[in-house]
Amino acid sequence: MKAKNLLFTIAAGLLPFSGHAAEQPRPGDDIEVIKKAALGIDTLIASFYRKKNLPVPAVTDDATFIRRAFLVGTGRIPTAEEALSFLEIEDDTKRAALVQYLVNSPGYSSHMSNWAFDLLRLRDTKSGGYNFQAYRHWVRTAMQDNVPWDEFVEQLLSSSGNGWDPETASVGYYTIDRGMPLDNLANSMRIFLGTYMECAQCHDDPFGDTERMDFYSLAAFTEGQSELNAGAFRKIYGEARENRVEDPLAFRVANFINDEVYGLSLSGGGDGRIKLPSDYQYRDGSPGEMVGGRTPFGKSVRTSDRDNDGQGREKLAEWVITKTGPQFPGVIANRMWERIMGKGIYEPVDQYIDSDKTVYPELTRYITQVMVDLDYDLRAFQHVLLLTKTFQFATNPNPSTLVGGDDFHGRKIERLTSEQLWDSLITLSDGNPDLKPIRKPDMRVNLAGTILANTDIVTFTDEFLSMKTEKEVRARFNELMDMVGGGKKGKNNRGSDDDMMMGGSTGNSYGKDAPVRASELPSPAPQDHFLYTFGASGREVVGDASLEPNVGQVLTMMNGFVQRKLVNNNGAHLYKSLQGADTDEERIRRVYVAILNRPPNKEELDWMLEELDAQGEDGFRNIVSALVMSSEFLFLQ
Amino acid sequence: MKQFLNKADEPTRRQFMTNAARAYLGVHLFPMLGPSIASAAAEGASKGAKAKHVIYLYMAGGMSHLDTFDPKPANKENMGPVKTIQSVADVELSEYLPNTAKVTDKMCIINSLTSTQGAHEQGNYMMHTSYSPRGTITHPALGSWVMKLGGKLHPELPGFVTINSGAKAGNGGFFGAKYSAAPIGRPTDGLQDSTKPNVVTDESFDRRLALADKLNTQFHSRYQNTDVKAYEELYKDAISLMNSEDLKAFDLGQEDSATRKLYGDGQFAQGCLLARRLVEHKVRFVEVQLGGWDTHVDNFTAVAARCKEFDQAYAALLTDLEKRGLLKDTLVVVATEFGRSPEIKSNHKDGRDHHPSAFSCVLAGGGVNGGQKYGETDKGGNKVVRDKVTVPDFNATIAYALGLPHDLVLMSPSKRPFQIADKGTPVTSIFG
Repeated sequence: MKAKNLLFTIAAGLLPFSGHAAEQPRPGDDIEVIKKAALGIDTLIASFYRKKNLPVPAVTDDATFIRRAFLVGTGRIPTAEEALSFLEIEDDTKRAALVQYLVNSPGYSSHMSNWAFDLLRLRDTKSGGYNFQAYRHWVRTAMQDNVPWDEFVEQLLSSSGNGWDPETASVGYYTIDRGMPLDNLANSMRIFLGTYMECAQCHDDPFGDTERMDFYSLAAFTEGQSELNAGAFRKIYGEARENRVEDPLAFRVANFINDEVYGLSLSGGGDGRIKLPSDYQYRDGSPGEMVGGRTPFGKSVRTSDRDNDGQGREKLAEWVITKTGPQFPGVIANRMWERIMGKGIYEPVDQYIDSDKTVYPELTRYITQVMVDLDYDLRAFQHVLLLTKTFQFATNPNPSTLVGGDDFHGRKIERLTSEQLWDSLITLSDGNPDLKPIRKPDMRVNLAGTILANTDIVTFTDEFLSMKTEKEVRARFNELMDMVGGGKKGKNNRGSDDDMMMGGSTGNSYGKDAPVRASELPSPAPQDHFLYTFGASGREVVGDASLEPNVGQVLTMMNGFVQRKLVNNNGAHLYKSLQGADTDEERIRRVYVAILNRPPNKEELDWMLEELDAQGEDGFRNIVSALVMSSEFLFLQ
Repeated sequence: MKQFLNKADEPTRRQFMTNAARAYLGVHLFPMLGPSIASAAAEGASKGAKAKHVIYLYMAGGMSHLDTFDPKPANKENMGPVKTIQSVADVELSEYLPNTAKVTDKMCIINSLTSTQGAHEQGNYMMHTSYSPRGTITHPALGSWVMKLGGKLHPELPGFVTINSGAKAGNGGFFGAKYSAAPIGRPTDGLQDSTKPNVVTDESFDRRLALADKLNTQFHSRYQNTDVKAYEELYKDAISLMNSEDLKAFDLGQEDSATRKLYGDGQFAQGCLLARRLVEHKVRFVEVQLGGWDTHVDNFTAVAARCKEFDQAYAALLTDLEKRGLLKDTLVVVATEFGRSPEIKSNHKDGRDHHPSAFSCVLAGGGVNGGQKYGETDKGGNKVVRDKVTVPDFNATIAYALGLPHDLVLMSPSKRPFQIADKGTPVTSIFG
């Protein structure tokens, strides 16, 4: 069987429904475009080696390739079946076919979602009970639908409306930082444009050229992030708060409406002007003075200090995406390069430098152009990188010889991220995790323990957010109190089972120990979780994930989760897949392919056979345990 | 001298420390292991150097100084609804800290902290490492420096433990994994997975490790890599830890219910209790975090709730340490990345924003004179007006309390010079 046929057969069953891609053809849909771009990169890298008079690294073997491509492209190791089907085919095109399979598999979007959640600091909730599952789902779906990066960023930065409505749930980008719009803006500049402006929140940056006035002039665009029509509810909430002891139920209901309805909404469109803070200390402005919007670099965009612009956020988004020259496409191209190649062309990837100042300006410019030519199609862009010979270079155990960037000299060894490790371990314990449905938000209205019938959370919240007067809101509030059993009429509207069917989708969620992809688990991982131990981001700040080793990780491998879920678990998928293997050699071989995605060498086979001789069935567990604890399992080569 | 500074490996370090101690502490020789510098320094000129351990309580998010340790009762506009209470030793505190008010005789409250970093990540990094974050290097955390300069005190237990902390709080940085913290997620669970699964026999356990070792040796012969090597060493550490008699240090179940109650129920409270147990068992540096101080919205409700978590546990910790005779050689630090704006933001339900220019931290035990306030802010709590303490100064003071050479330069593998507290100067007048 030809490689393509086989892999596409596997792929056919797994292809996600992709609403966006189906709408209109994109440049990256054409495989020839992808191939050409990949060749362009390889040509540049080859000339780099020629110019520096360096030997070109060898191309890695199939076993290393499939493991690397799976982990980098989809965030997990291949299943034994996937690994075997690849290793046993002899066909020149099989690597290209595999890459195509990977970027189109559900694993691709799961892996990308972890990346996006880290970048956006996306937590399920924040203190005070705010619930960001609709926003989370919006991001998760955008990754699944492969929404182009410029469109994605535009929808985040210019958002407004109801946080529960799937059309406007991207307001979570702002509401997750409610009360701290300046930090939010500093983060936007950092993650989308690779510009650090944090310092200038308080003072002129002594090391850069950003002044405090620049920061405030930019913050003018996003100023004015209120809740939709929340004024109509304020007094009712105040009363409920005051009477919280006498009427705790009313307080709970009011809290829900405050946090989950108003609290998740975003009004206006950005004032375009802002007051300088009370401690403003420079001569170019005075505390309390109103200043208009002015962008700090690129093609200048301005708004007036005299009136409320109302479209500040849209203008900011447009500036970021279309008026900063190569910076916007350059930052995301380098981020994707880091994701796929292991090291960014420059690092840190969130400190943009001009292509001329990078170690290889031609390459930096080239990949920036590819990003633009592909219309910011991140899936296609990663497809290009995965298809290059550069991606296939053999492993180089030495750190990059260049401080702050890639030396293009072979794949650097790096420990798997916490998510890659988790996703790989559950692949061994429970089989292909990409066959399980993704997490979906609960769209029912759960009001102080009562599920409301005949409505769903979008309808429910829309209703409140459109009410302009306190009278209307109060009437609705009292009605709700009746429904939940707090009013005079008692619990007359509690939904029966039949009614519940009308009450919005129950969604789909997983507990923290569920053997599903890290992208579907609670975010951030709780502190007693495997993901936490292995350095998953707490998602309070950007780039908080860590690959640092610690003794807790080793204990988990030797005694904890790995032993319970895999080594000592008779029901583990890994053991089931051994059924039908007749000989010890065959069983050892299968275990090797499942865990390390390669057959054992002669020396290893002898060690393992000895182990079985000495220990029988126990020996088999010892083998599995040793393989999972090995550095080869823990590190990406 | 320069030559052997370049690589801080074990023997060099020994030689270098000897020299350093001679120059800095006026002593000539001291043994490398054990209390090393701390004990040597105690005999030397420094009047600090009484502490052997640090319990570092980190208030993540930026603790409001006005609503805790630096109240301004005369300034109603900035204080909002918060009242002030008098405490023992005549130190004013906010009403949110009634239990702490009973132990102020053991505390030195520093009201004059100031930081150059007003964003969480940078501020937090600065407090933990004394340096601003740079893209090209990861600076070791304070606890890693303490281990590097002072050594471990217990041969099997980790020297540095973080409880309830973020992934990066215990970062060994360019010192490597050997100096990074052992993280504890939930203190009540202790050190997870520190015992062998019941179903595995001793023999099987040993065989697994032996087999993994064979595989790793093979892997290393192909790829010489320091990160890979670090894991191999961690396996050795982990096994000696599992076999240690003192593993019980991590087990809160060994505490009687009266003691557990004294601290309170929350994870932070139990974390403080665990920190005490660990210090009792000679762990050098324990960090316990309490998050949720980022009170942009509804500051007073949130701070009251945070203080409730903090207050009982902190007072219990100081009392308990003293009762056990541990307070004199344990420095208890309360730290945070910055304060909060004295101006109350009414449009955010009375919130307070970040305020790095003035904030408060607290030191207690470890030779610090109790019952004092150090430094002062203006009438509104906006700016420091007396005895300014920068973040590096603060960390240098911690080093000083431990008798560690705060001005000693160590070179990173990339050959750049670093000090435990950057160029900070310790505040020595607060020590007895």
